[in-house]
Amino acid sequence: MILDAPPRALDRDSGRARLPDRSGFAVAEDGVRLAYDVYGAGDPTIVLLPSAPIIHSRQWKAQVPYLARHFRVVTYDGRGNGRSDRPTDPAAYADDRMTADIGTILQATGTDRAVLVGLCIDGVWRSIRLAADQPERVLGIVAFAPGVPRLAPAQPHYVSSSATFHDELPSPEGWAKMNAGYWRRDYPDFARFFFSEMTTEPHSTKAIEDAAGWATDGSVEAMLAESEVSVLFDREAVEATCRAVSCPMLLVHGTEDRCQSIERAHRLADLTGAPLVVVEGANHMIPGRHPILANLLIRRFVDSLPRAAR
Amino acid sequence: MVSSLKLSTAEPSRSIGRADTARPREQSRARYPDETGFVERDGVRVYWERYGDGSPTILLMPTWSVIHSRHWKLQIPTLARWFRVVTFDGRGNGQSDRPQVSAAYAGTEFASDAAAVLDATGTNRAVVCGLSMGAGYAARLAIEHPDRVLGVVMFGESIPYEAESDDAGEADPDPEFESPRRTDEWFRYNAHFWRRDWRGFAEWFAGDRIFSELHSTKPVEDSVGWFLETDPETMIIVEREPYMRLPSEWEPGPPTAGRAARYLRQIRCPLLMVHGTEDRVTSIAHARRLGAWLGARMVEVDGGGHSQVGRDPVLANLLIRDFVHGLQGTRP
Repeated sequence: MILDAPPRALDRDSGRARLPDRSGFAVAEDGVRLAYDVYGAGDPTIVLLPSAPIIHSRQWKAQVPYLARHFRVVTYDGRGNGRSDRPTDPAAYADDRMTADIGTILQATGTDRAVLVGLCIDGVWRSIRLAADQPERVLGIVAFAPGVPRLAPAQPHYVSSSATFHDELPSPEGWAKMNAGYWRRDYPDFARFFFSEMTTEPHSTKAIEDAAGWATDGSVEAMLAESEVSVLFDREAVEATCRAVSCPMLLVHGTEDRCQSIERAHRLADLTGAPLVVVEGANHMIPGRHPILANLLIRRFVDSLPRAAR
Repeated sequence: MVSSLKLSTAEPSRSIGRADTARPREQSRARYPDETGFVERDGVRVYWERYGDGSPTILLMPTWSVIHSRHWKLQIPTLARWFRVVTFDGRGNGQSDRPQVSAAYAGTEFASDAAAVLDATGTNRAVVCGLSMGAGYAARLAIEHPDRVLGVVMFGESIPYEAESDDAGEADPDPEFESPRRTDEWFRYNAHFWRRDWRGFAEWFAGDRIFSELHSTKPVEDSVGWFLETDPETMIIVEREPYMRLPSEWEPGPPTAGRAARYLRQIRCPLLMVHGTEDRVTSIAHARRLGAWLGARMVEVDGGGHSQVGRDPVLANLLIRDFVHGLQGTRP
């Protein structure tokens, strides 16, 4: 008797460990459509924020199945990638718009308040802004690789690549690939380079392939539009916003992070009083590369929140 | 409040040594044995482990002595939740001895070691799993000790049942193995190459032959570490013993083509074969012919390489579980 093994995924999305219970689109104030998914029915709701437009909600694939067994989980594709709209006007990627999208998703999914979990600037800074502005909607924040601008200098390779971002570089190497012309010429190669730099732990080939794939699901024009935008807050305003956060927070940062320097995490811990877990040897993509660690930290944090607040 | 978490950074094992030298620092295990011990046969000590107390017992066989019982590391913790699991380091690696005479590595010796381990662990009968050459050792056990074997699961069988003879060996050295040759691809399967660059052979065999799938860096690294726990001189001695040398009382007369295949037909217990369609050690066609010849139940893993055990562990574990449940007449 010849039996076939369980079929391999025929397309990239059919092999999920858990499928959403509900999916839909929310419409932001500027008309941009945002695709969201809801998993599970536990309490409280956890919103896993997108690192957009570079990747989309599948960045949380190693969190969703576990967390949805215990909590209600909401994910969404940020503007510019996944199933969401991909505006090419830089104004669509303004800090305010990206922050407001969290509220749009909460409303569309009937979520009064939630724990926000994010990675880097798109996930962490926007969580902090929402928690500072609308504390009643945010039960707590888990901040992976907290990218809060201005709290410490940007990494030197970002400083150098942004200086040449619009230059014509015929065959850039290394971080010089962070370049508008190169993105237009060979965005998949940039994506592989970038996520290789973000995931330097041994045995990361799968995590890199996945992330580079989510990047190429997106739009170079959206990335270019987003690159025009900068955070308008000066350092003082950033610090005041961080201090204004009153909900519990947990900060998690790897010692080998090549995207966000660990000084930013230490500074954020000082400003908020939040505990900081330093992961020795980890680079930037902790939820994707160290999912069990990330999942347990999220779960313990959520379980530690006061019941009454939920 | 700043707390620090250290990721698991166990160094890959790398020292070459005898069983009695200090062992390399081992990686942490998901589950540790409930009982360990040694059996000794003809002065050769073989190290075994037992996990769990369920029923039936699953015996995880050794394979080619380039690696040892940790090659079942992704089966043990799961299977031990349901069943009782016994495994042992094949002679030539791990914590077992490395006899320096080829006859000590005959297939029948591995089968007899297995029977001795079953005795030592108080196991009457077991479901027996084997990977690659371990499939052949499992077959030997099922044929030579049929009362001890409830069923056999073969992963990536590497049994030379179609060889012209089962008895070429020390008396008739294989020039392809013993003489210097080119050093690319399968030409590396050679005593001179092994002596010169054992690690290079390990990296090629584990990385290019066993784990041909994408995203296999970890099982390759593990395997190379296990290769380096034995040494090329021992493996050259292992190699000189024909793996399928059959008992002299079986079909008396000179060994001939087809003899091993007829021998294998004596397996009477249920047999499941699991084989990757992209296996780069033993072709799927080879496995299909053997499966048809033996009337085995066959699971072909589309796109799979040589070791579902190491590379598709969830699939391997569930196939073992369902096979065992099938033997027990229970639904999975």
